[in-house]
Amino acid sequence: MGVFRFSRKQLGIPYAVFLICFVAAPLLVIIYYAFTNGEGRFTLGNLTGFFTSPYTIGTLAYSFAIAVVTTCVCLLLAYPIAYILARSRWKSKSVVIVMFVMPMWINFTLRITALKELLTMIEGNLAFHPFLNTIIGMTYDFLPFMILPMYTTLLKLDQSLLEAAADLGANPFQIFLKVTLPLSVPGIISGVVMVFLPSMTNYVVLDMLYNSTYIMGSLIGSYFSAYDWHNGSMIALILLFIILVFTLVTDRYADEDTGNRGGALL
Amino acid sequence: MKTKKLRAAALCLAGAVLLGFACPRAAAASAQKDDEPVTLRVCSWEEYIDLGDWDEEELIELDNGAEIFGEDALYREFEQWYYDTYGKRVRVEYSCFGTNEDLYNQLTLGDTYDLVCPSDYMIMKLMAEGALEPYSESFFDRENEKNYYINCVSPYIAKVFAENEINGESWDRYAAGYMWGVTGVLYNPELMTEEEASTWAVFDNPKFFRQITLKDNVRDTYFSTLGYLRQKELMDETFRSAADYHEKLGDMMNDVSPETIDEVEELLGHIMGNIYALETDSGKADMVTGKIAANYQWSGDAVYAMDQAEEDGVYLQFAVPEECTNLWFDGWVMLKAGIGDDTEKKQAAEAFVNFLSIPENAVRNMYYIGYTSAISGGDDDTVFSYLNWCYGAEDDEEDAVDYPVGYFFSEDGDDENYTVHASAEQIGRQLYTQYPSQEVISRAAVMGYFDEGQTHNINQMWINVRCLDVRDIPLWCWLLALCAVIAAAAAAAVYRKNHTLE
Repeated sequence: MGVFRFSRKQLGIPYAVFLICFVAAPLLVIIYYAFTNGEGRFTLGNLTGFFTSPYTIGTLAYSFAIAVVTTCVCLLLAYPIAYILARSRWKSKSVVIVMFVMPMWINFTLRITALKELLTMIEGNLAFHPFLNTIIGMTYDFLPFMILPMYTTLLKLDQSLLEAAADLGANPFQIFLKVTLPLSVPGIISGVVMVFLPSMTNYVVLDMLYNSTYIMGSLIGSYFSAYDWHNGSMIALILLFIILVFTLVTDRYADEDTGNRGGALL
Repeated sequence: MKTKKLRAAALCLAGAVLLGFACPRAAAASAQKDDEPVTLRVCSWEEYIDLGDWDEEELIELDNGAEIFGEDALYREFEQWYYDTYGKRVRVEYSCFGTNEDLYNQLTLGDTYDLVCPSDYMIMKLMAEGALEPYSESFFDRENEKNYYINCVSPYIAKVFAENEINGESWDRYAAGYMWGVTGVLYNPELMTEEEASTWAVFDNPKFFRQITLKDNVRDTYFSTLGYLRQKELMDETFRSAADYHEKLGDMMNDVSPETIDEVEELLGHIMGNIYALETDSGKADMVTGKIAANYQWSGDAVYAMDQAEEDGVYLQFAVPEECTNLWFDGWVMLKAGIGDDTEKKQAAEAFVNFLSIPENAVRNMYYIGYTSAISGGDDDTVFSYLNWCYGAEDDEEDAVDYPVGYFFSEDGDDENYTVHASAEQIGRQLYTQYPSQEVISRAAVMGYFDEGQTHNINQMWINVRCLDVRDIPLWCWLLALCAVIAAAAAAAVYRKNHTLE
């Protein structure tokens, strides 16, 4: 008679089911569609089609440009804020942190709608600066994701290291460059990952701010709505591959001391 | 002992679950014979049916004595009406779709509906694929006064539905008209003259640089750009007066040969450099806030936008381009996959269409949605009275004009009984938009569906227009990118070097 034995491993079953249903299976479907044509036969045509069309390559370049510029702007804005907040002895600094995080409590489409009106007031006509507007919208949307990880990393920074550097004759600028900055790299990396990846595909911001140029996300959407599952899946797969490469590269710079490798993938 | 208990409990649980699944089905099977209601799965556009719950002062009192009030959602009232009329119970499951393509994707992915309300070209596509169930003979029986659709549909709409054929069968066997209209330009008369707005060339007019929006939708944009491209031929007098003008117009506006698509692509690329943006829904609000001076609009949405803008004190107007306009329809079609051999269900679906075609209900929908119903009322003058109620001039109004709408309401297009005595400002505004003049209708063309290859071609054209061409990226961008890559690589190298030294 088989005995039904409860073990701790069985607690994992729901998660395994979830992963199979919502991650593994859809991925297999995407791979299947990406490498087949309308008649269901195997083809590499979708892949070569992507890399030979000047329009899809252009879209990839445009998405990259938006993501890189957004990430840089977020980084330049967020680092000083995180640094000042982490180093200050000001008692109510958590209030300031909350103020930066607070916009995240409201759905981003509502915030972008408000931003749209604000930008119209400033610029007069939004249609003249679609790229700039997109960067502003994305930065507004993703800034908290950049501030928080950097703030936490800088907060954990061992003060005695800075004191030791000062004792050994380093001036404040040298301390920052040789001690603070290298030690905050893990925070920078996770912030960059959290901003760069979504900003490559967040086409709703572009739509709402009247930027009619496609990025990767909207290109996939346009193929899907035209019932072309094959080309759409291929682009999704290529995007997935780019993200994978990006995370693997950044992962090498993540926090090794705390055994936090792989964190970037999350 | 303990494990045994657990097993027993598990077995009981499993049994209960199984029973739970089996029982209602068995019950349903037996009850079907008695009084189990037929379930009718209806899928239509969002906000495309009167949902009732009107305020008391919204009661519409017409000259012909009819009093119209939306108490409850029409599909709920249908359930009661069906029981009262046919003595059978029906339950309507009403759901919505966002675009024709969404609906089509839902259908191919296995969602089943019995009755759906797609647009003209999607009806054609479904018809060509053999997905539609034809209406039964009895549905077209004029003798039966419960057949509201056939008795009340506008002769004009009926004619268009009879004239358009797919695979040798005319539409009217498969589709019942619901709402219809034309496309044109909604504009702000303070910023643009009527003459400027009355052409498809307006989107390329440098005077309105970055002040006009087009639709984020390949079919509408293709039509307007093609109208602009063929402007000369379309405006040519000999072309217009030819006996087969309508046929030729239809052919010209459905031209998707590769050469034409290339020409449209080039012209559209140019237009994209002049317009404000492509929009799906924001255009109406942006007209009111003054962000844009004009936008491409379907007549139904234009009426809605004018009504909304009026509340904010902004008066918008609608112009139909002189070249041609796109005549569009939404119609009810039954799906083979949903109806199957179920005659009860088919009867309920046809009754649903008939219920919506009762003139009072058509008026309720028009009032609620702002679109134009395909129902003219037949012998019943409720719809025409509603027109007068909406747009009729006061008796003492001086600059009132006569606006004939006979083409829509009567078999004999020149019937003078159907003339709205409206104030002059209505011409170019809601009345003109909701019921375009005979002259506008004469240059209207239906845009059909395209086969797979053609659809692929115009979609590819659309993607080419929307995407950044990598060849258009200037050199300085590449140089900048190169610098960025070198800087990033250098930073990474320095960091790694220092890191390994520790």
